[in-house]
Amino acid sequence: MLEIKNYSKTYGEGKKAADNVSLTVESGDIYGFIGHNGAGKSTTIRAVVGVLDFTEGEIFIDGHSVKDEPMECKKVTAYIPDNPDLYENLTGIQYLNFVADVFGISAAEREYRIKKYADMFEITDSLGDMISSYSHGMKQKAAIISALIHDPKLMVLDEPFVGLDPKAAFTLKEIMREMCNNGAAIFFSTHVLDVAEKLCNKVAIIKQGRIIATGTMEEITEGHSLEEAFLGDAFREADHE
Amino acid sequence: MNKSMILLRTLLLSTSQSNIYRHCRDKKKRGKIVGGLIGAALLYAMIMAYCIVMCIGYGKAGIIDAAPVMCALVISMLAFLFTFFKTNGYLFNFKEYDMLMSLPFEARTVAGCKFLYMYIKNLPWYLSISFAMMIGYGYYAHPLFFAYPIWIVLTFFLPGIPMLIASFLGFLIARISTGFRKTNIIQTVLTMVFVIFCFSLRFIIEDVFKNNKVEATLDKTSEITSNAAGVYLPAKWFEDAVTESSVSSILMLIGISVLLFAVTFRVVGNSYRSINSSLKSHAAAKKYKMTRQKRHNVVNSIAFKEYKRLVGSTSYTVNGAMGEILAILLGLVTLIIGFDRIVSVVTSDAPFDHAILQPAIPFIIYFFIGMAATTAMSPSLEGKNYWIIQSLPIEKRTVYQGKMLFNMYLTVPAMAFATLCMCISAKVPVPDTLLYLVLGFALCAFSTAWGCVCGIKHMRLDWENEIEVIKQGAAVAIYMLPNMFVVMGLVVLTVILGIRMDHRLLALGFIIITILLTVLSYLRVMALAKRS
Repeated sequence: MLEIKNYSKTYGEGKKAADNVSLTVESGDIYGFIGHNGAGKSTTIRAVVGVLDFTEGEIFIDGHSVKDEPMECKKVTAYIPDNPDLYENLTGIQYLNFVADVFGISAAEREYRIKKYADMFEITDSLGDMISSYSHGMKQKAAIISALIHDPKLMVLDEPFVGLDPKAAFTLKEIMREMCNNGAAIFFSTHVLDVAEKLCNKVAIIKQGRIIATGTMEEITEGHSLEEAFLGDAFREADHE
Repeated sequence: MNKSMILLRTLLLSTSQSNIYRHCRDKKKRGKIVGGLIGAALLYAMIMAYCIVMCIGYGKAGIIDAAPVMCALVISMLAFLFTFFKTNGYLFNFKEYDMLMSLPFEARTVAGCKFLYMYIKNLPWYLSISFAMMIGYGYYAHPLFFAYPIWIVLTFFLPGIPMLIASFLGFLIARISTGFRKTNIIQTVLTMVFVIFCFSLRFIIEDVFKNNKVEATLDKTSEITSNAAGVYLPAKWFEDAVTESSVSSILMLIGISVLLFAVTFRVVGNSYRSINSSLKSHAAAKKYKMTRQKRHNVVNSIAFKEYKRLVGSTSYTVNGAMGEILAILLGLVTLIIGFDRIVSVVTSDAPFDHAILQPAIPFIIYFFIGMAATTAMSPSLEGKNYWIIQSLPIEKRTVYQGKMLFNMYLTVPAMAFATLCMCISAKVPVPDTLLYLVLGFALCAFSTAWGCVCGIKHMRLDWENEIEVIKQGAAVAIYMLPNMFVVMGLVVLTVILGIRMDHRLLALGFIIITILLTVLSYLRVMALAKRS
């Protein structure tokens, strides 16, 4: 579903924010992307969703190149940034209708999905209020609902659990599992290693722009916890390099 | 509905005051919206009245035929300037870029919709000018019936070409800037250089027209407009369409506008993602070594924070510091070319003793320096970061003192430099020069405090784009418009009084009045700070 091949992103002064990143996310995968602050997670994610321009490497979504066929890629992808910048002076329902219009979702279908997910996240009552009156968590919930409105094949999330209350975090995890059971793929970055360990079947660890470990959860942890793997051997090896 | 329409409709809805009014429960906010609408209506009425008065003048002077070209030129100039200053912030480097670009929109659709959004938002200005001039023209020129619908329809197309040119220039500046490591700084410098070039162009054009040996003032107005129409073809097309019902001119204006739009946004669309990627991404150098840190007082620390906020934004720098740069340039040019020569150029060699202008030097410089006060923008610019100062254990008055101190740091050196240059060049006696410096300082202090009153009274934190509070904010408009008109009046008043009074006494009188106004404004700031 998502294939990143030798992707690199270099900034003006020659500093590489992402260096030869390669990974593959299959349909049905819940793929965790782990790394320290500033490791290159968001840079990679923004390139995947077609927001950030890049010159080196290739990214394919559902067989389409992000560079050459961005529209085909975006049609099947949903993106939830870590700090969603929504239109503050629209109401929640106006914003969701905007996204539904962009994806050409029929009235009946959007009504069904908005109601379903708004009820799950318990924000149905607030949909008529201005987004500017929402808390960070409510904005995050609105962004999640807007991402689910077109039933994406690939969902890309940047730190999705930050700001969500425990019930909403649980709901999101349930939705992610349900999507993957239906053949979609999830690619998300997180700092919460416990969540990644319980939720993901595959993980990639990134440090200073380079992937230092990638594979199934079992391959990465080798019988230890993900926290031990993340903080332990893998990083020491990378430091020696 | 196609995607462009969906996006354009949403962009308009997301900043529509009626939408906020409908869904907002805060009565104070709703009241502000109504107040803002009344204020805007009054402003448009003032513009219309001004244009009608101008047409009456043209009619009485028998040069009403110049009205269509003048209308086209004024609208084109405004459209160009409005767009150029907003390109960075609206077209590029806007807040919701990530959200929009992750949705299935073509880059050129996003860029094109942003452009159309700017166009629609500024349309009331153009329509006010155009309709008022059409009424004046109709009254005096008695054109054929067809002139009216043609005038109305073409008004919607007139701003198109200058806006597209401004957008393309903004695009070129952004494109060039992305090739450098310090993208934002290069973009700011290039934008400022271009604005200064535009200001100089006014004098170059004037000089070119002067070489055509235009004599009488009225003839000159008519000649200048027709010369300008010769250079700027859309004005000529508009004139021909209105006065001669020329179908080819109508088609040219509409056709070229549409064609230019399509071509511009195809070109812009191709580089849109790379430009925005570069403008929105900043690599961390990670080279910092811990050094000894210094302690500063709180007011200075806030002033420093304001400085970093200014230089961190191209739009803020260009709008906030342009007056200071122009004042410094004016000082330099005066010193090099000479005060008398500058006065001769500006007054078209009018025969009078240039010394009578000396008492107006502080106001001439303040016209530039006082164009914008960072204190009128900075309270609103806190935006979502407002919580930082709210949660810190400092009083609001300290925060505003810091903001005011920064504006003084910005304005006083530029004022002092320009005043000294002009005084040296105009051979102003030393005691008078010192008085002008004191008056200049007092004017800077007034601008700072008055700006802060407007900034606090009309603080708006819920903006989507910083341009909304830098260029379109109520605080900036309420600060700037009366300030500029009063200063223009003061220049004239000073010259008139200077003929009858001792220059030093006059300067002293203005110093006392300005200090009084400054103290009143400062006290108002302190009172507002206590209340907020």
